[in-house]
Amino acid sequence: MHGLGELEAAVMDVLWRAPGPVKVRDVLDRLDTGRQLAYTTVLTVLDNLHRKGWAQRELVGKAYHYEATTSRAEAAANAVRELVNASGDPDGVLLHFARSASEHETELLRKALPKRSRKT
Amino acid sequence: MTVAVALLVTAGLMGVLAPRQLLRLVTRGADPLVPLLAWLASAVSVVTTSALAVTLLLLPDHGTDALALAHECWSSLEHGMAPRVEATGGVIGLVLLTGLLIRLAVLSVKGARHRARRRRDHLAALRVAARREPGSPSTLWLDHDEPLAFSLAGTPGVVVATEGLNRRLTDEQVHAVLAHERAHLDGRHHLLVAAGDALSTLLPFLPLFRRTPGVVRELVEVAADAAAVRACGVETVRTALLGVSGHRAPGSALAMGRDSVEVRLALLAHTHRRPDSARSLLAYGTACVTALTVPVITAFAGLLAVILVACH
Repeated sequence: MHGLGELEAAVMDVLWRAPGPVKVRDVLDRLDTGRQLAYTTVLTVLDNLHRKGWAQRELVGKAYHYEATTSRAEAAANAVRELVNASGDPDGVLLHFARSASEHETELLRKALPKRSRKT
Repeated sequence: MTVAVALLVTAGLMGVLAPRQLLRLVTRGADPLVPLLAWLASAVSVVTTSALAVTLLLLPDHGTDALALAHECWSSLEHGMAPRVEATGGVIGLVLLTGLLIRLAVLSVKGARHRARRRRDHLAALRVAARREPGSPSTLWLDHDEPLAFSLAGTPGVVVATEGLNRRLTDEQVHAVLAHERAHLDGRHHLLVAAGDALSTLLPFLPLFRRTPGVVRELVEVAADAAAVRACGVETVRTALLGVSGHRAPGSALAMGRDSVEVRLALLAHTHRRPDSARSLLAYGTACVTALTVPVITAFAGLLAVILVACH
């Protein structure tokens, strides 16, 4: 399962590097995963990516041509937006480095500080 | 009856008065985990003391054996409440507490499932969009200009960072930010946050419980800052914190309040010593045991004082 996720990332990398829509065979040729992959494996991964909304496809002749739905930068921005939204969630699965504390808790901790450092 | 009431009163007092005292510990010791654990233990202690009180109401001798020496005086203090009333009170209390504990268990299980699902969703998106830098834990880099850093719980947890950190901070400062996030993962801070959230649902009318979620979140940040300070020095962590909190797009939901930054910077000054592990284990143990026993000891001390004053 983990391996499939790595493959998805590798295939998306190929799509992002490609100048335009590519065929499954082209993706297979450009993949650099250190092992020989079957055509059907790549086909399955591309199908998954299409289903998940990462890639779009177009039927040209008899074969599908695939391309990424968003640019790499947009994908990163979307991931950031999702994380930022989630860091406000109360579920605590994510901790954010510069999370804004509520005024109430800030005040509590400020009161705990010795007077000398309160002024600075 | 009197013992049970005394226990309930001290439990209630603890729920109201403990927060201020516990936060004082933050600036005393080198280790923010001591007040954090003491806080959680205090909350547990309020619950166990209340449970003890209602159980005593149900026992035939109401736990008065423990004070058999003061028996004569004792009977004069008893107000002759009918045993049936006490038993009814005990049953109601016990049912209430059991109900709350069952609710806590159900919420905890639901919360754990919810968190696992959220984690899978985040990882699925990150695996494709981020560049993975192997390590323990591994770091996922997102090509984004805002300097941001997160830690995502799990086994193994991951650190998520944006390239904005590399663009706006020095290598040393980036190192400090990553050390902070790794400290969250190493210290299982996400679990502490989840435990605090769950505990707070038990008796939300007491400040000790109501404030738990916010305080735990604050204290794990302080603890992670302390770890970053040990790895990179106060000054680096200080400038990293200022750098990250200063480069936020105006109006962003995450813009860190100036007050929050100030408090964290002020606390940094108190956390530069490296706690040695044996001593900190002893401190954690003492903090928990103290928090757990304080209400019971106070209740009995109070009762003894009343007996001494009333029957001398």
